[in-house]
Amino acid sequence: MQNVARMVAAGLIGLSSLAFVSCGGGGGGASVAPTPAPTNPSNVVSVIVDAGPNNSSVNTLYTTVTVCVPGSTTSCQTIDHIQVDTGSNGLRLLASVLTLNLQGATASDGNSLVECTQFVDGYSWGPIALADIQVGGEAASSVPVQVIGSSTFAVPTNCSNKGTAEDTVAAFGANGILGVGVFEQDCGPGCAPPNTANTFYYSCSSSACAEIAVALNSQVLNPIPRFTTDNDGSILDLPSVAAPGTTKLTGSLIFGIDTQSNNASGSETILAVDGIGDFTTVFNSQTLTQSFLDSGTNGIFFDDTALTTCSDPNFKGFYCPAGSPSFTATLMGTNNTNIAETFTVDNAQILATNNPTFSVLPTLAGTFSTATSSNTSNTFDWGLPFYYGRRVFTAIQNQRTAVGTGPYVAF
Amino acid sequence: MKIRLGISFRGGCCVGALMVALAPRLACAALGEPESSIAGDVQHLKGSIKSTARSNYRVHEIQLPSGTVLREFAGVDGKVFAVAWSGPAIPDLRQALGRYFDVYVAAAQAKQGTRRHLLIEQSEFVMQSSGHMRAFSGRAYLPQALPSGISADEIR
Repeated sequence: MQNVARMVAAGLIGLSSLAFVSCGGGGGGASVAPTPAPTNPSNVVSVIVDAGPNNSSVNTLYTTVTVCVPGSTTSCQTIDHIQVDTGSNGLRLLASVLTLNLQGATASDGNSLVECTQFVDGYSWGPIALADIQVGGEAASSVPVQVIGSSTFAVPTNCSNKGTAEDTVAAFGANGILGVGVFEQDCGPGCAPPNTANTFYYSCSSSACAEIAVALNSQVLNPIPRFTTDNDGSILDLPSVAAPGTTKLTGSLIFGIDTQSNNASGSETILAVDGIGDFTTVFNSQTLTQSFLDSGTNGIFFDDTALTTCSDPNFKGFYCPAGSPSFTATLMGTNNTNIAETFTVDNAQILATNNPTFSVLPTLAGTFSTATSSNTSNTFDWGLPFYYGRRVFTAIQNQRTAVGTGPYVAF
Repeated sequence: MKIRLGISFRGGCCVGALMVALAPRLACAALGEPESSIAGDVQHLKGSIKSTARSNYRVHEIQLPSGTVLREFAGVDGKVFAVAWSGPAIPDLRQALGRYFDVYVAAAQAKQGTRRHLLIEQSEFVMQSSGHMRAFSGRAYLPQALPSGISADEIR
């Protein structure tokens, strides 16, 4: 049961080192493969929802990624169970599964570039390295990625004061994270010059690490815009699942929008998103302006003080209603497009207790709040269950598809 | 970034006692600490402050260099009973949460994998944190120290 309680989200993270970001191998099911076999067609990679490397994940979507030393076709490693996260941008790998020696990236002052990736419950400290990335049949060259969990430089106080370190496969529930959200960079303009005090990026010398601004193209980058083709966005295509769920689920991550016969736009509703990737959800008369779709969240998260939350501490933050209540919310893009969505919530504790082998729980939902307070976050987080049974388009900022310009989501 | 005032404050404001002799203007205005020390937070965090009086409490809003806004709520008794934040970066929570930082870390470690939501609900300390990169928000408060008539919903 801790299964459910354990895995809620997606995120990022990292840790690292100096000139060479190397890692101690082993673990996590990673393997070396000089020549990855492309899936067919080449703009599709298989994705799976399963229990993950900790054998405890729920509603967590994974794929397999090959990374190579830039320019090499032989110094490559294929790593499975990389979480697919539309709520972040860029590739982050856990050092404990990385056997390649990737060249570390340098900051604008010539020192090593290290990132303090932040989450609501902690941080990941690790160097930026350059890697060629292959996903399915797509490839991107010399992309800045973060390596999590091998640290040459001590974590600066400014970073450790965010919370607890997340730098192991156990903490992550994945061997890495592939952020394929709506932005080109992980942090974006907020970390670019002149914003030195962004608290994400650091320049590290042998004596100290200091905050530094990083040009957009040197930040951790969403690999999709760096593909030579099929580079304007992606589509997550997952089959539907009836409640209470199933043990595992296989689907596709399709690269490109309106670039091939398998990724054409159709009658989807387009929701444009704002500068932080959010749209508005209207639910129970609340207008929640910081709402988002997120394959890296393992349930539907929203506040409804009338809905019973779980009392068992192992399910803290999840809903445990009697029966299976249904709800309707309206999603509104910044382009003033609206679409209604109906969803059902089941009792999280019963779901997990009665189905201990299920990694796919489509009616899992949780709350941000406590019994005595509500609506603090202005957020409705449409996690992975939202993606089941549909094709969800994620168009990247500045990229033009046949039906619009990113950033937008559509389904 | 040059050397931050940082290292001296390692360990958070509540090691501050040591510091006082060296940096008398610095103190810790964390949750549960005296309001009078908020100026120390502003300095430590290199922010700018704007204060507003509400019916029976005061809100001190600190604009941090990272772009995040940190609000500290103080009651008429002069104690900080809540903090809230929103913006592109998680604030220095050791500074903001003070003695409760360790409670937060322990709870977060017990629920690893929860990277986009955090909910801690204890009798003396409540914390809610959510969001994604570029947009975080959260708050922490002391339920037993909330001024009468104040709803937790006002802490934002």
